[in-house]
Amino acid sequence: MKIAEHIDPWICLTIFCSFTVVLFILLPLIEMIVQPSFQDLKETVQDPDVRRSIWLSIYTSGLAAFISFIFGTPFAYLLARKEFLGKKFLESIIDLPIMIPHPVVGIAILGIAGKNHWIGHLMHEVGICVMGTVTGIVAVLTFVGLPFYVNTVKAGFEAIPVRLENVSRSLGASLSRTFLRVTLPLAWRSMLVGIIMCCARAISEFGAVVIVAYHPMIAPVMIYERFTAYGLKYSQPVAVWLIVVCLVLFFLLRIFSLPKEHQT
Amino acid sequence: MARFDRPLKRVLVLVFLAAVAFSPFSVRAEPQGKLIIFHAGSLTVPFARMEKIFEAKYPKVDVLREAGGSTKMARMVSELHKPADVMASADFAVIDKTLIPEHAQCNIRFATNQLVLCYTDTSRFANEVNADNWYEILGRKGVIWGHSDPNLDPCGYRSLMVLQLAERYYHRPVLYDRLMANRPKKNVRPKSVELVSLLQTGNMDYAWEYLSVAVQHGLKYIKLPDEINLGNYKYDDFYKQASVKVTGKKPGTWITRTGKSCTYGITIMKDAPNPEAAAAFLEFLMDPNDGLKVLKEMGQPPFIPCRVPTAEMKARLPSSLQEFVEVRD
Repeated sequence: MKIAEHIDPWICLTIFCSFTVVLFILLPLIEMIVQPSFQDLKETVQDPDVRRSIWLSIYTSGLAAFISFIFGTPFAYLLARKEFLGKKFLESIIDLPIMIPHPVVGIAILGIAGKNHWIGHLMHEVGICVMGTVTGIVAVLTFVGLPFYVNTVKAGFEAIPVRLENVSRSLGASLSRTFLRVTLPLAWRSMLVGIIMCCARAISEFGAVVIVAYHPMIAPVMIYERFTAYGLKYSQPVAVWLIVVCLVLFFLLRIFSLPKEHQT
Repeated sequence: MARFDRPLKRVLVLVFLAAVAFSPFSVRAEPQGKLIIFHAGSLTVPFARMEKIFEAKYPKVDVLREAGGSTKMARMVSELHKPADVMASADFAVIDKTLIPEHAQCNIRFATNQLVLCYTDTSRFANEVNADNWYEILGRKGVIWGHSDPNLDPCGYRSLMVLQLAERYYHRPVLYDRLMANRPKKNVRPKSVELVSLLQTGNMDYAWEYLSVAVQHGLKYIKLPDEINLGNYKYDDFYKQASVKVTGKKPGTWITRTGKSCTYGITIMKDAPNPEAAAAFLEFLMDPNDGLKVLKEMGQPPFIPCRVPTAEMKARLPSSLQEFVEVRD
C-alpha cells in the first residue's frame, strides 16, 4: 500500500503512454519483418533488381541530403540569425513540402519539367530530362527532404550563442571565417542530425517519386510494383531488406556522431 | 385457346419475375451505409458520374470508390483482405483468375473498350500523324511514346498486342521490335491513366490509352482499324495471334497473355460488408437507362444486356439482378 502511494500518477501515465507508442510503432513492423521466411529473404537479396533498387534508394536519398546540406546550411543560418521582413512567410514556405500531398509534389515537378513549360523546354534543349531519370528522383527527394534539413539545422544554429560569433568578429575574423571556425564546429552535430532526417524522409518517399519516375525503380516503388504484380509474399522481403539496410545506416550515423558529443 | 393462353402465360411469368425481382427490396430496408467499390483506373470517370446519380437515388448510401490497376485492386481483396463490396475490372479474366471462387462467385461482363493512340497539339509530329503513318512516327528518333506496365495493367499488355497485330495487319515484319527499341523503359508507367498527365505536361508525345480515357480527358487520338484495336469481339480470332509475356505468380516466372477483345467485368464480393447496397448498385449499373447509358456516353460501349458465362452463374446472382443479364459465352 505504501509503495502505491509513492508512485506518482503522472509517472504511471508517462510509462503507460511510452509503452503504447513503442508498441504502436513496433507491432506492425515486427509483424512484417517476421512474415517472410529466411528462404524468401535470401532469394530476394540475391535478386539483382532488388539490390539495385535499394542501392538507388540510398544514393538518391544521399544526394538529396547532400544538396540540402549545400544549399540548406547557409539558408538555415540566415533564418537563425537574421530578422527581416517576411521571415515568418519564408519559414512557412520551407514547411510547404511537408504539407503538400506527395503525388501533388510529383505532378508539380513534372509540370515545370515538361516541354509545355518554358523551364522544361529549356531543360530539354540542354538535355536535362526529369521524367523517368535519376535526376528526377533526386529532384523529388530533395524537394521533400529539404525542410527537414533546414528546420533541424536552423534550430542548431539558434542554440549557439551569438556572443561567440561576436567575439570572433571583434577579434577581426571575417563573417565567413567566423562561420567556418566558430559556428560550423559547434553546429556540425545538428547538421548531421539534419542530414539523417533529410535522408530518412527521402528514403521513405513513394507517392511523388512514382509519378516522376517509375523506372528506374527506387526501393519503395519496387515494393509497390512487387505487391501489385506478385502480392504480399514478394513485396515484404524487399521491404524488410530496405528497413534493415536503413536501420544499420542510420544507426551507424548516430554512433559516429556520439563520441564527439561526450567530449563536448 | 392456345393463342389466348400464351400471352396470358407470358403476363403471369412477367408478374412472377417482377415479384421475384422486387420482393427482396420490399422486404429488405432501403440500402444504406458505406458502399466500397474497387474499380479499374479506366472506369474512374464514368463511375464518378454514376456515384453521383446513385447517391441521389439512394441518399442513405455513401459510395467510396478506390481506383487502380485491376490486378492490384483484386490483390487488395485477395491478399490484404481489404473490405470491398463491388469490384470492377478492366479485364473480366482478372476476376476469374484472382477472385473466384474464394472471394466472389459471379463475373458479369458489362462493357467494352478499345485502344487508341493519344497525343496533344504539342506532341512531336502532331500535325502529321494519322491512322496510316502512326507506326512510322512512333519509330522516329526523338519521339517519346509510352504505355502502362504490362505486368500491372491490362492496358499495358494490350498496347503491346496492338503493336504486334499492326505488324501483321500492315505486313511490316519486325515492326514490333523496331518500335520497342524506340521506347526506353522509363516511358512505362504503372497505370495508363498516369500517362495522360505526362502527355498534358509535354513530358511525352504519344501514349496508348483506352478510347474511354481519351474521350474523358479530351485528348486527341488516332482510331485504329477494328482488326487491331482489340475493341471488336468479332475479330477475336485475329487478336488471338498476339501474345505478351507478363510476370507470373512469383518473380522470375512468366505467363503468356493472348490477345482478345477488351471486356470489363464486375462482381460482388462474397463477404461484402454491404451486400444490399452492392446489389442495388449493380442493378443501377446494368440498367440501360442508368449506368449503361453513362458508360455509353463516356466512350465505353456497354453490353445491353450484360453477360454472364453460364446459367449456373446467373442463378447465383441476387434475384433483382437476373433480369439484367443474359447467358452468353
